[in-house]
Amino acid sequence: MERKFLKRATAILMLLIIIAVPSIFAGGNKENSKSGEVVTITMGSWRTDDVTQMNAVFDAFSEKYPNIKVKFDPTNPPDYNATLRLQLEGGIGPDVMYARSYATGVQLFKDGYFADLSELPGINENYTTGAKAPWTTDDGKTFAIPFVAVSHGIYYNIDMFKKNGWEIPETWEDFLALCETIKTAGITPLANSLGDEWDINEVVFMNIAPNFIGGSKGRLEYSSGKRKFNDEHVVALFQAMADLEPYLPEGYAALTYNDNQAIFSMGKAAMSFDGSWTAAAYEKDDLPFEWSVFAVPAPKGNDSYVTFHPDAGIAINAASEHRAEAEILLEWLGSSEGASVLANSLPTGFFPMSNNALTIENKHANAFIKLNEGRGLDVRWPWPNLLGGDPSGYELMQNGSIAVIKGTMTAQEAADALQDGLAEWYPPAQN
Amino acid sequence: MAQKKLSVITSQIMPGNSKRQELIWVLYLLPGLIVYALFMAYPLFNSMRLSFFTGTGYTLNNFIGFDNYKELFFNKRISSQFLGAFKNTWIFFFVHMLVQNTLGLLFANLLISKSLKGRNVYRTIIFIPATLAIVVTGFLWKLLLNPQWGALTTFLKFIGLSSISRVWLGDPQIALIVIALVSSWQWVGLPTMMFLAALQNIPEELFESAEIAGATNWQTFRHIKLPLLRPIIGVVSILTFTGNFNAFDVVFAMAGPNGSPNFSTDILGTYFYRIGIAGKHPVGIPNMGMGAAVATVIFLVLFIGVGILRVLTQEKKGLK
Repeated sequence: MERKFLKRATAILMLLIIIAVPSIFAGGNKENSKSGEVVTITMGSWRTDDVTQMNAVFDAFSEKYPNIKVKFDPTNPPDYNATLRLQLEGGIGPDVMYARSYATGVQLFKDGYFADLSELPGINENYTTGAKAPWTTDDGKTFAIPFVAVSHGIYYNIDMFKKNGWEIPETWEDFLALCETIKTAGITPLANSLGDEWDINEVVFMNIAPNFIGGSKGRLEYSSGKRKFNDEHVVALFQAMADLEPYLPEGYAALTYNDNQAIFSMGKAAMSFDGSWTAAAYEKDDLPFEWSVFAVPAPKGNDSYVTFHPDAGIAINAASEHRAEAEILLEWLGSSEGASVLANSLPTGFFPMSNNALTIENKHANAFIKLNEGRGLDVRWPWPNLLGGDPSGYELMQNGSIAVIKGTMTAQEAADALQDGLAEWYPPAQN
Repeated sequence: MAQKKLSVITSQIMPGNSKRQELIWVLYLLPGLIVYALFMAYPLFNSMRLSFFTGTGYTLNNFIGFDNYKELFFNKRISSQFLGAFKNTWIFFFVHMLVQNTLGLLFANLLISKSLKGRNVYRTIIFIPATLAIVVTGFLWKLLLNPQWGALTTFLKFIGLSSISRVWLGDPQIALIVIALVSSWQWVGLPTMMFLAALQNIPEELFESAEIAGATNWQTFRHIKLPLLRPIIGVVSILTFTGNFNAFDVVFAMAGPNGSPNFSTDILGTYFYRIGIAGKHPVGIPNMGMGAAVATVIFLVLFIGVGILRVLTQEKKGLK
């Protein structure tokens, strides 16, 4: 009886193995790039939300180049860097892929996984040097085409502003006064919260930072060692974070980023610090009131800046078998034809970085682009130099922002913690 | 009977060799042993080996001896977070022992009583949360506890007790306890079922004689049920211990990977996830050597802890 069972089980197991083995080896599915045959290149990405939009872009591309098909193969955003690294080290990376700006991307290039694109046809004509900078090494090698940027600002409920006669503030001091007025009227001024932690850092702290440290010019003085990370500008910046505390929603310590957007969507708060990507979500939800954005006002006497952050580039896998086809794709994406397809396909709040990008029709996307007029632009502060060590500038800014809002640290202590933490590994902070 | 059959089979395979016949059991162990060695023992020892290495990305090729452990315990910035997570894990475990297992014992005693109507209904209700995914229950509780529109806040306001309402998940003093209570709520069905099964195995005569001798309910519990439940209390304690020192999902679902607020709900599971698997946001490249060191420490704590718990809760041989 038992032997019979064993025999049968073994037979089933063998059968399963026989079925499984050929399909494992067939998984490679190599398609030759001989003329006439269709080549499929895969594109890695962290934008799981954009599959439809990107497929529309690639359909337009394949119309012009019928021999090249592009398969968009995104990964869950928080896992992207780790997954990509694993794939590249294991030799199974995608042919082309989204590249993070600055240190994270540079590291993959230095480790030899990204191809050098300095000589890519059209790269100098289609993109400015400034646009290329986040994907260019110190010795001037570019390893990705600039793809999309995101902006940051303060969303506001136009209906509520009109009804109460509130004005868009010109200075940070006016902004705080406006918050006070709104609070007195019995409305929560700001929808932001601490529950998820990253958002208070990325959409509030880094959103307002350029206005306090003086944009890229000021930022470079920190990375050249000319200024200390606990100087009066940084203290004022942390103080500004602390000043927001009374205007956050009730229970802000446990409210998440989703709650923040829900509070604004439901008209329970007048304003919300956020990134341009949220515009797409608000459009989709079709909010029952008029809304728009204004730029973070600078403190009196300071120049105004907008945090306009290069988010994604596209790089080519140095080990790809379809290098030539991948280059054709990247060149096309920057050309006037590709860029205009992109500009109209990308979700609201993501801005193509090619010089050839057409004007965008969408009114909310336009509202963000308008913020750039007459203001300086800068990236999120820690991205260029402060992510690569332990503790990272990102971490210190996040912990400091939360601590000053909760009142467990003063602005001076948070700035000192930033200086001391960076001094552990970042040479410009050490002298 | 099965044994007899076994010997028949073995004598058929290898007739007339008694020495070999004695060793034939090795053959039967082999499949299990191979699977265990390949998928359990090898990864465990390899992970211990990796804790002595460092490198870039996922290639660990630089031998550094005990440096990962030195950093973990003596670099103040790293050790404060690690030891904080270690302390929180103990708190997490004690809340489970105190709430989940005590309630389990209480529920089992109530469910065994003959006078209780609708026992099966209660039993099902108590067990249902354990069948749900933590991501689901964590999300539900997060909604219930939401300070803006959560049901608990609304309810407390309604009955005029808004003064005891808190920002449950945003207050570093109570967030960990709240999450541990949610986890206890979810898993209380397991110890209940185990205690119930054990109680059902106690011979009826013992209760009858106790009743005749005039024992009170408490005396019956203290002198009959509790001593006979001792081995199962041991099993439940060990399961709670290993479960909590490996816990990750409930904190991840309710407080995120950082154990917010301010690392107050950070436990060893989330700490390990941050260091060894996810890496720090926004770079997201893990330090795998350090992660392996953390995993090894967790393993050692479990190994020693289970050993101690076994000694404490094992039946004394003399009693049998």
